[in-house]
Amino acid sequence: MKNTIIISLLTFLSIQFVKAAPVKDSISGFTFQKMQLDAAMDFDCDACGCSASGGSMGFSSMLNSNFIGIRYFNQSYSSRDGIFANSPWIDENFNTTQIWTKIPVNEKIQIAALIPYHFHNRELTTGTEKISGLGDITLMATYSVYKTQKDSAVFTHNIQIGGGVKMPTGKFEESNNLGTVNQSFQLGTGSWDYLFVTEYMIKKENLGLNSMINYNIKTENSKKYQFGNQLNYGSTFFYLLDLKTVQLVPQVGFAGEVYETNKQYGEKVINTAGDILFSKFGLEVGKDKLSLGINAMLPINQNLSSGNIEANYRWSVNLNYTL
Amino acid sequence: MRSSFGAAYLKNYKKEITLKEMKNLLYKAVAVLAMSAALTACSNDETTVSGTGKVALEFDNSFNGNDLILETQANTTASNEVLKITAIKYIISNIVLTKEDGTTFTYPKSDSYFIVDEATATSHVLDLKNVPAANYTKVTFGVGVDKAQWELGATGQADFLAKAQAEGMMWSWSAGYKFIAFEGTFTSATVGTALPFKVHTGQTGTDYNYATIILDLKTKALVRSNITPQIHIVTDLSKVLNSTNVIKLSDNNPNGTGAMIMGGANLPLVTQNVATMFTVDHVHND
Repeated sequence: MKNTIIISLLTFLSIQFVKAAPVKDSISGFTFQKMQLDAAMDFDCDACGCSASGGSMGFSSMLNSNFIGIRYFNQSYSSRDGIFANSPWIDENFNTTQIWTKIPVNEKIQIAALIPYHFHNRELTTGTEKISGLGDITLMATYSVYKTQKDSAVFTHNIQIGGGVKMPTGKFEESNNLGTVNQSFQLGTGSWDYLFVTEYMIKKENLGLNSMINYNIKTENSKKYQFGNQLNYGSTFFYLLDLKTVQLVPQVGFAGEVYETNKQYGEKVINTAGDILFSKFGLEVGKDKLSLGINAMLPINQNLSSGNIEANYRWSVNLNYTL
Repeated sequence: MRSSFGAAYLKNYKKEITLKEMKNLLYKAVAVLAMSAALTACSNDETTVSGTGKVALEFDNSFNGNDLILETQANTTASNEVLKITAIKYIISNIVLTKEDGTTFTYPKSDSYFIVDEATATSHVLDLKNVPAANYTKVTFGVGVDKAQWELGATGQADFLAKAQAEGMMWSWSAGYKFIAFEGTFTSATVGTALPFKVHTGQTGTDYNYATIILDLKTKALVRSNITPQIHIVTDLSKVLNSTNVIKLSDNNPNGTGAMIMGGANLPLVTQNVATMFTVDHVHND
């Protein structure tokens, strides 16, 4: 799968170079607005918003501020299937294909939507278990509180705040939580969840730094299960390299997630809290109205489910079309 | 884009109004979201707790953190003796559940005798029925058969006597029940070739050797007609020999043919150890 993606990326690049049409975009006309909802759109990287999900994965497009796109992302975990030291470790693969879009209402307000489709699998000792289907749809809005207006400014700043709602469109199956440690093997949280995001971007010429914090309040679902609230944070450096035919934006940064304890019937579910810190690497390639991004996250430090879940890696690829 | 934004902002008064309105709208939206989140978080539906439900008391045998595997698994004790366990059975009795208000529910005595046998998976979970709906915070149980019950005589045992005999958990009626049967083979620094061992507890001499265990539940067990809590208890068998008291099998091998601990001064010591081997790992309210 990974190979396929890399080959597709190379193919895409070579086609773009061969076709190399006259450039319309100039560097001055190219703003970094694309980064804007980056952090804001991170929240739905979770497999479902559960314990070991991918809430800080992020990277929307930096090459197009208003777009519709499709993104595939994969999260690999190993989870202990049992409560003992010699209980078997099983592999869990969380796969998501999502349609995402970001549309400006006006100069200060943007709305965004995410429609995920999940296909997860895990290798239990009794055989492979698979679940697939629509995930939780998210709608949100962000508002630009402060934005540097002068073109002549050496540093430009942009501060945004926003909020949104994640709807229980993904199926929550109680039975997926029985007998196994990882409570996150779900298509959705089954609950109405609320998101609060803040984001700060500073840039100088072609170099920028984007930092974000967002907080997800999760409520009790109809099965009386409540996933713990989740804090996501992160910072990403990015650099715009304009090669006339294409723009390249390499990115590097870190991202963290902190999960509170899940509850069932109001009682804490043990071993469901945790935290994790990732390093992030990415590259975005833009050409005319299309941009292609590929990203990876590797854990630096983690303590998920009292050590009963280990995140191995996450990676994603996305194709966006500027509206 | 940025410059055009600035110009548009200054030039277009109407647009500014729109922006202000949008801003207000957004604040309102955020406020509504925050309020609804707070409301949902606070609305604990306190439906009256009544009726009865079930409780599943699961006993999961382990050895020092590892899931127990009979026959093949080499288990090293703190005394550096290596045990291969071929059988572990114990009698669980007199179950009492304590509610969060401190009152207790005593499971009917006639139904409150069970034999947990590692070799029989269905015996690991004790299904308690007709338990009053409540939030329970403690479970109390005995290991063995209490003296009062035994003193009722053979006819007072109902069908548990036959069951215990069938499971090999009786010595004889006069000698009484075996409370724990822990068997296998062992090697140690002084025992190179595996020898059998048997640890059987029960009454011996003046010692009755019944143990009462009280365990706190980390998560309340919420018994309802539609919720059957599963109380997952881990039994750490390494503690039979190594806990409050240290008992070496090698020291109980007088004839070089194996260690048979079935009586004498060791049984009260083993019983003290047995009292420490149970812990509640977690409670599922499903």
